[in-house]
Amino acid sequence: MRKLMIGAALAALMTPGLAAADDCGEVTITEMNWASSAIITNIAKFLMEEGYGCSVVSVPSSTTPSLVSVAETGKPDIVTELWINGAPSYQELQDAGKIMTAADVLADGGREGWWVPQYMVDAHPELATIEGVKANVDLLGGRFHNCPDGWACKNTNADLARNFGLVDAGFEIFLHGSGETLATSIASAYANEEPWIGYYWSPDPLMAKYKMVEVDLGVPYDHEVFTCAAKSDCSAEGVSSWPIGPVKTVVTTDFADRAPEIAELMSNMSFKNADVLSFLDWMENNGATYEETAVHFLTTRQDLWSEWINDSAKENLAALLP
Amino acid sequence: MAYYDNWIERLGLRDWCDANSQGGPMSMADLLKKSKGDKAGESDASILDTPFPSLDELNSACPAIPKTRVFTDAVENSFLSIKDPLKTILDPITQPLSWALDGSMWLFQAVPWFIVVPLFLLVVFWATRSMALVVFVGVSFLFMAFIDHYVPAIQTLSIIFVCTSFSVALGVPIGILMSRSDAMQRIVVPILDMLQTLPTFVYLIPLIFLFSVTESKLYGIAIILYAVVPVIRLTDLGIRLVDKEVLEAAHAFGMTDRQKLVNVQLPLALPNIMAGVNQTIMMSLAMVVIASLVSAPGLGVLVLRGIRNLELGVGLVAGLGIVLLAVLLDRVTKTALARVNAAQKH
Repeated sequence: MRKLMIGAALAALMTPGLAAADDCGEVTITEMNWASSAIITNIAKFLMEEGYGCSVVSVPSSTTPSLVSVAETGKPDIVTELWINGAPSYQELQDAGKIMTAADVLADGGREGWWVPQYMVDAHPELATIEGVKANVDLLGGRFHNCPDGWACKNTNADLARNFGLVDAGFEIFLHGSGETLATSIASAYANEEPWIGYYWSPDPLMAKYKMVEVDLGVPYDHEVFTCAAKSDCSAEGVSSWPIGPVKTVVTTDFADRAPEIAELMSNMSFKNADVLSFLDWMENNGATYEETAVHFLTTRQDLWSEWINDSAKENLAALLP
Repeated sequence: MAYYDNWIERLGLRDWCDANSQGGPMSMADLLKKSKGDKAGESDASILDTPFPSLDELNSACPAIPKTRVFTDAVENSFLSIKDPLKTILDPITQPLSWALDGSMWLFQAVPWFIVVPLFLLVVFWATRSMALVVFVGVSFLFMAFIDHYVPAIQTLSIIFVCTSFSVALGVPIGILMSRSDAMQRIVVPILDMLQTLPTFVYLIPLIFLFSVTESKLYGIAIILYAVVPVIRLTDLGIRLVDKEVLEAAHAFGMTDRQKLVNVQLPLALPNIMAGVNQTIMMSLAMVVIASLVSAPGLGVLVLRGIRNLELGVGLVAGLGIVLLAVLLDRVTKTALARVNAAQKH
């Protein structure tokens, strides 16, 4: 019995080695706790394993913990879909030379802002602008849905809503308890075609499922005002639009030295928001898992990912390429 | 190559399987098979690797067999289909809870601290007649106010005050009914067991679908469902423990059932009921952090902020604030309980 178990253990150890055509070694990559990141991680995992012969471990994580882990332990090797607006330690780690930025994984960046449902804008086109919003407090239910306490956007929304005159216009700024209830409030408003206005971000499965229109704030992005608004101990005076949030893939410098071809793959991996929204939409409609959505992407968008991989990987994945 | 393919072939179900195949999303295993050609599938699988013939496993061999996801979807859809009628009934019934929570929250915050705190101290003195406790409560409160936690602490107290009142108003009658009928007890006990063991977020999810997340009754219901259990259990127990001989004596004096309940059973069960109320208060306090996830204000919000941002200090201080409130409420109710007990002995 013991022999058998040792044999099985050895076989388990050998298998990835056998499967690996080239020797790429072990790679750790984060899988953030939201849909688009999980799908992108699954896509990357497949390409690395099947194309480059790596053995990939995906680590469930989220923004702050993943960077803390990189800073303290140098692992995981790859952090993908990092919204750096919400991660102040990114710049420090970059300056210290611990990490390097491989790519903008979302080519158009993340869009944060204030949104109203499409059906409301269809009925009242003026709601797509901040002036229209202020003039139609009753139409919008008189309630602005803010982020939960502890998110940077909670401070930003509170300051900007005051400075844009939403509070004076009569909006109640409602503080959600968690991201889940913020999302549910959109879903339930949509189910009953009720008014809704508040903060959200895209790309996100919710935005793929429920069509929302971003409110035009009518002013440009003002770096000084915005950074102050985001801090809890600084209350901004002016107004500003939301910046396009850069969403990056970062790799540790050690890893980039060890596996340059994977680092190159990572720097090629970049998605247009429309593509992300379309596979998120497909996921919702088919009730698919993250993994199945990754498979769907891999089987239908060879045009995209074949450009990311090098020639030897193309050879390994030839069966999948048209 | 799924493990149970051979079985499907042997049972002659292949045609049926493929005929009803809906061609769902391709799995990673299928893709791997495709990318490697069929070589991968032919690896000799050891008998030790036999997977349990679960729905998902059978589905990969025979697409006509539904996946586990179909099962969970069915549960979801059946809930969604009864959602609207349920909402029509429950919404008006639970509305007073929203009013009570909002009203009490407004009242507690509108009255200035220099009236609220002495008022509390008076209540504590009236309930316990213990100067030591009055001093302890006073110092605790002033300390929390001093570190700027007065407002969250008072919000938490206001929520607990309302939720405990509702729990007692609901729980004592249910407990009395349970004590009078064994059939009723057999029905209610499993429900109480379920309320206590069901992970909290599991009943928060349907609640979020039923009520608007912006209404305070959402967290009110969550707290009450969790906290009402001990007061029901202990009311039932307390009344059942009343001495049979005392009841016989009451009967001999010609008391009606109602008189027996009000004048004999309830007073004698009071220590147990009070112990239940004490437990109910403690449990609603325990729920305050979780209720913050569905927008309950108070100290729980600060604990969550501490967890989300890894702000250790914020979380710890707010957590200790909750502990302080717990100790304070526990001591006050226990001392009040001891007074009730002492009064009964004379």
